[in-house]
Amino acid sequence: MQSQSFAHRYLAMRRDKIAHGWTLAKRNKGCYLFLAPYAILFITFFILPICTSIFYSFTYYNILEPARFIGLQNYTNLFLQDEIFLTSVKNTFVCAVIIGPVGYILSFLFAWFINELPKWLRAVAVIVFYIPSIGGAAFEVFNTIFRGDAYGWFNALLMEYGMINAPVLWLTDPRYMLTIVIIVSLWMSMGTGFLSFVAGFQGIDRSMYEAGYVDGVRNRWQELYHITLPSMKPMLLFGAVMSITSSFNVGAVPRALCGFPSTDYAARTVVTHLFDYGYTRFEMGYASAIAVILFVAMILCKKAITGLLGRVGT
Amino acid sequence: MSEMNTVRSNGTLQLINGKKYRGELVAGETGAAFYAKGQKEPVAEWHYARMNRMDNIRRGGTTSQITVILKDDTRYVFELAQGLKLYSHMDKNWADKPVKVKTRGDILHEQAERLGEKIQVPKKHLMARRHPNRSITGDVIIYLLLALVAVAMLFPLVFLLGSSLKPLDELFRFPPPVWPTRPTMDNFSDLFVTMGQSWVPFSRYLVNTIFITVVGTFGHLVIAGMAAFVLAKYDFPGGRLFFLLATTFLMFASGVVTDIPNYLIMRRLGLVDTYWALILPAFAAPIGLFLMKQFMEGLPTALIEAATIDGAGRFRVFWSIVMPNVKPAWLTMIIFSVQSLWNNPAGTIIYSEAKKPLVYALQQIQGGAAVNIARTGQVAAANVIIVAVPVLIFIFSQSRILETMASSGIKD
Repeated sequence: MQSQSFAHRYLAMRRDKIAHGWTLAKRNKGCYLFLAPYAILFITFFILPICTSIFYSFTYYNILEPARFIGLQNYTNLFLQDEIFLTSVKNTFVCAVIIGPVGYILSFLFAWFINELPKWLRAVAVIVFYIPSIGGAAFEVFNTIFRGDAYGWFNALLMEYGMINAPVLWLTDPRYMLTIVIIVSLWMSMGTGFLSFVAGFQGIDRSMYEAGYVDGVRNRWQELYHITLPSMKPMLLFGAVMSITSSFNVGAVPRALCGFPSTDYAARTVVTHLFDYGYTRFEMGYASAIAVILFVAMILCKKAITGLLGRVGT
Repeated sequence: MSEMNTVRSNGTLQLINGKKYRGELVAGETGAAFYAKGQKEPVAEWHYARMNRMDNIRRGGTTSQITVILKDDTRYVFELAQGLKLYSHMDKNWADKPVKVKTRGDILHEQAERLGEKIQVPKKHLMARRHPNRSITGDVIIYLLLALVAVAMLFPLVFLLGSSLKPLDELFRFPPPVWPTRPTMDNFSDLFVTMGQSWVPFSRYLVNTIFITVVGTFGHLVIAGMAAFVLAKYDFPGGRLFFLLATTFLMFASGVVTDIPNYLIMRRLGLVDTYWALILPAFAAPIGLFLMKQFMEGLPTALIEAATIDGAGRFRVFWSIVMPNVKPAWLTMIIFSVQSLWNNPAGTIIYSEAKKPLVYALQQIQGGAAVNIARTGQVAAANVIIVAVPVLIFIFSQSRILETMASSGIKD
């Protein structure tokens, strides 16, 4: 009896809630009109592609013939037969583990240091640190810097000082390729998140630091941990989302520097693997399966980081 | 506000819309108020805490604006007119000496003195330094580190610029110089000669890029602006969920995950090999929506309500009240949008040579850069052109972008 009335009440509550939502929606009809153009485009070009990917990942599809349903075969092939894919996963994992956290922490630290500079110097520093990441193709200059002959700047430098006798093939020797990709990606890692941090630091109420000083904060690290970090949480989350993007999407750099495909697939990442199957071999079903795996990995990573950041400063 | 510590000064307060008030500024320990001539109630009040916040941004070189909270909790952004400073009556040379605003440490110290307690904070120490918790050694180390890293960050770019200015013999000198001894523009003129040999004239690529960038950016501004406006200022079912979704997609904005299915969808829609294949997704870029929405949340709701009561339709409110007030956010959206459109070579989705954007054409020059040694200088010149545009735009709009990014946080 008791539980029945509880269920009854619960249902009534749900009904009320829905009715309330409905009136709210009716009252704000205009809002949907405003949202519609964006929503339609967003769904078409961002949500729908994900759904399409999931759908095609269970098929064999080469664009010419209609898609043929093959169940989980793409996934089993990826993990059980495609050794290059496993190499690419390993490489992407190494890249993500280094570029993501290191790039994130570096952009936070540098934003923090820059914040201490006088104002004109701060503007210059922001520009200097941010340029590599907006400069689009700027990283292609590393082709010249790490060129494999003696005219490459880095080789010449090492030979001048007698550290090597013959030029090293930095970009085609599997031993060095991944390291260079990581260095270049780190060089580009002061991106949108970095800007968000710089702005966030400037937005912190200065009187909080003074209050902190009175309350016994004695050095900059204590100040960072007890005052700055908790008030920067929203920016930290934004920066984390942006750095997940950059750490998983390592693709353009290895393709431009190490060649496509690279020697022994030493610089193959999940993204370049996806490109290979999508745009060179037109095996769209297989490529979609790779995209889905990347998508799931990024979502899980974001979940983990959100949970981690929730504990900052507490 | 106790009478003891107030400071008065005549001045002008100028609103952002050009409205000016002459009157008296009264400043106290925790805040200040502005009384217009002949009025008993203050036109505006504000608190140092908030003023500091804006002031911080101002010191970043943005603007001389302060946010003022009116009695009824509406907020306005004011511009501090020339000559409006806080001057003290008590000081004899008050005419040329602005008053130092008291810090919280000061106030606590005074309180302690009044109560006869001993406070462990030495007042002089607290006031003498701008940052109370900084050691000199630490500062020096940080400055050195920053200088070092800044050099490392800049080096490749300087090297790139240097290579583009090198004459042929210096490009292949051992050891390679970073900066040419005899700088020349030959590489740039050669680049234009090479580009001129293509059967598609150079100007065509330029027109393509400009068309894509301008249409894409403008549409993005309007469409994402409209969506951001309702998401920020109205509470309607589904709105919050939609925004959450858009925030999640910030991660996939660079398009690697959605690239291939996007291609399939474009094919279905018949958009492959048209400008729209680039423009339409740019309209819906999540980063623009996200930044705009976060920035709009800072706008006073009263502003919108007042206009609605005056009978303005939703679009009027959006177009003539909200949009003019979020100009820093516009600029940021424009820059991110221009950056991504300018840098997108669109190699996979536009096939016709006559429809290719400039970046693609420039990248063709470097086709096989590793093999094509003869064009090393031209490749560098092409890269300088590609990099220069977004970098210059950023340099000129840097302070506005930072102002927008101040509201970029994701709240959970």
